[in-house]
Amino acid sequence: MSEAPILSVEDLAVTFSGPDGRRTRAVDGVSFSVSPGRTLGIVGESGCGKSVTSLSVMGLLPKVGTAISGRILFEGRDLLRESERSLRDLRGDRLAMIFQEPMTSLNPSYTIGDQIVEAIVRHRAIGRREAAQRAVEMLERVRIPEPAARFHDYPHKLSGGMRQRVMIAMALACEPRLLIADEPTTALDVTIQAQILELMRALREETGTAIVLITHDLGVVAEVCDEVAVMYAGQVVERAPVEELFRFPQHPYTVGLMGSLPRFDRPRTRLAAIEGAVPDMSRPPEGCRFAARCPFRIPRCETMPELAPVGPDRSARCWRAPLEELAA
Amino acid sequence: MLQLIGKRLAQLVPTLFFVSVLIFSLQHLLPGDPALVMAGEERDPVVIEQIRKQYGLDQPVPVQYVMWIGNVFTGDLGESMRLKVPVSELIVQKLPVTLQLAVMAMIVALVLGVAAGVLSAVKKDSAWDYVINVVGLAGISTPNFWLGIMLILLFAVNLGWLPASGYVSPFEDLQRSLATTIMPAFVLGTAIAGVIMRHTRSAMLQALASDYVRTARAKGLSERVVVWKHAMRNALTPVITLGALEFGTLLSGAVLTEQIFSIPGFGKLIVDAVFNRDYAVVQGVVLVTATTYILLNLLADLGYILANPRLRT
Repeated sequence: MSEAPILSVEDLAVTFSGPDGRRTRAVDGVSFSVSPGRTLGIVGESGCGKSVTSLSVMGLLPKVGTAISGRILFEGRDLLRESERSLRDLRGDRLAMIFQEPMTSLNPSYTIGDQIVEAIVRHRAIGRREAAQRAVEMLERVRIPEPAARFHDYPHKLSGGMRQRVMIAMALACEPRLLIADEPTTALDVTIQAQILELMRALREETGTAIVLITHDLGVVAEVCDEVAVMYAGQVVERAPVEELFRFPQHPYTVGLMGSLPRFDRPRTRLAAIEGAVPDMSRPPEGCRFAARCPFRIPRCETMPELAPVGPDRSARCWRAPLEELAA
Repeated sequence: MLQLIGKRLAQLVPTLFFVSVLIFSLQHLLPGDPALVMAGEERDPVVIEQIRKQYGLDQPVPVQYVMWIGNVFTGDLGESMRLKVPVSELIVQKLPVTLQLAVMAMIVALVLGVAAGVLSAVKKDSAWDYVINVVGLAGISTPNFWLGIMLILLFAVNLGWLPASGYVSPFEDLQRSLATTIMPAFVLGTAIAGVIMRHTRSAMLQALASDYVRTARAKGLSERVVVWKHAMRNALTPVITLGALEFGTLLSGAVLTEQIFSIPGFGKLIVDAVFNRDYAVVQGVVLVTATTYILLNLLADLGYILANPRLRT
């Protein structure tokens, strides 16, 4: 990590209390950071707290019944201490987000042009006409054919891939310093996925925007990320640069995730599934959360391990890391 | 879009035909012989026969229908047997009264209902939400005549601010016209406001939980813009439908409310006509209100097209 991080999340914890009084710890002691121009992948299965983490950075979690602690430092300011008003000024300007569902994330009642112009006019002191020019420019930059004509289209006329491009154009219209992409390609066909990832990579090169890419797909991580944080049951269990993570995963859960990836360079065997199920987050276990499913479990796993360094630039939340010696 | 409107207009023809047949035949299923009623004390069969002949009551029913519908097309809805005036004249007289009342009631209903519905959706599960829901439920369940009597008691009898009954045309004296209609409009409006509130609330809750609202918030838009622009536009559809239907109901006359406030509108006209077996008047009034109702439905459909670009292509 060369430059000072643009975003650094420290010890973030999010607890939801339901109307029945049940408290669910969705995110627990999550820390990570990302530097300008870099892409951080946050990986994990559904329900592990990835999306909650990203929504708390955006300040978009519901206010009622949500308790957040820790620090979210963006450009040196702690977003958890900022007023709603100054958060609104940041959102869509310095800080932008795209979502998993391109089909429903655009308002069906307004043209895509309107929706992009709205974002620009909100944050820049320019007129609608100028903003409209800028919007067409953005549509062109996300490689939408005939951008001037598409400007007047309603979302229902566009395919999923095109809509996600519009979402990206909208998010990048004010040149944010950080883009959070929450499963941006999950709802798209594989060929379209590759196009969108390629587009995001190209735009990052052009603009120097940092990207936090939330995904459950290790293939996507391998393709675009520089660093990775692996999440399990609301915690970051491993952090590493992407090549190292794939070469030597240092947490048993990461090992398990990779085991469930199909490989062409090995004999065809049954894909390894991780036995057991994710713990109930309204009553999380006291010790390591992965212990119940872990093949390397030892008695010490009854107490919770910290996220500890296991090498230069990387850390893992496991008593048995580094794992290399175990394999021997 | 033009094609869609054309299609909807074409659908009107069979609907209206069916309605006219229904109105005509229902009329003949009612017990009682209008010729006898008209004859009054006169029991002379010759006179009764003459009355039958004069009003075409001696003809077979299909012939009577054709005669009637033919006249309808020329704007002749027949003559009231009781009042001896053309039905069309009666309608032209009473319609503006009912129309004024309906428009005012609708304004009350929409302003109160939409505002309360949006507020309770935005403040879901808060004290606001509960209070609005209780008041809304009370509004729906309070009988119109009771609320009307209470309002008269308070504002007319005790405070003396408003006249208890009667009607003045707005072209005569706007201020007095509003004074005579504000209470009945309020009575009619609040009942509808409760229903509109419930529908607005649920449509808004759905819209506020949608992905595009999250996108709007992610753009840094203020809650005011998020709620009134992004969510509202999409929550409008059920409100439009309901508004049109309720407006249609209002136009067919508010029998009880008009009675309580002595408003000479459609409601009173139709009640008097039914009690006196004044066939032509009942037919005319029902035909006009049914047609208006159908046209309002068409307008609601056009409203959807305006609110929903997916229908516009």
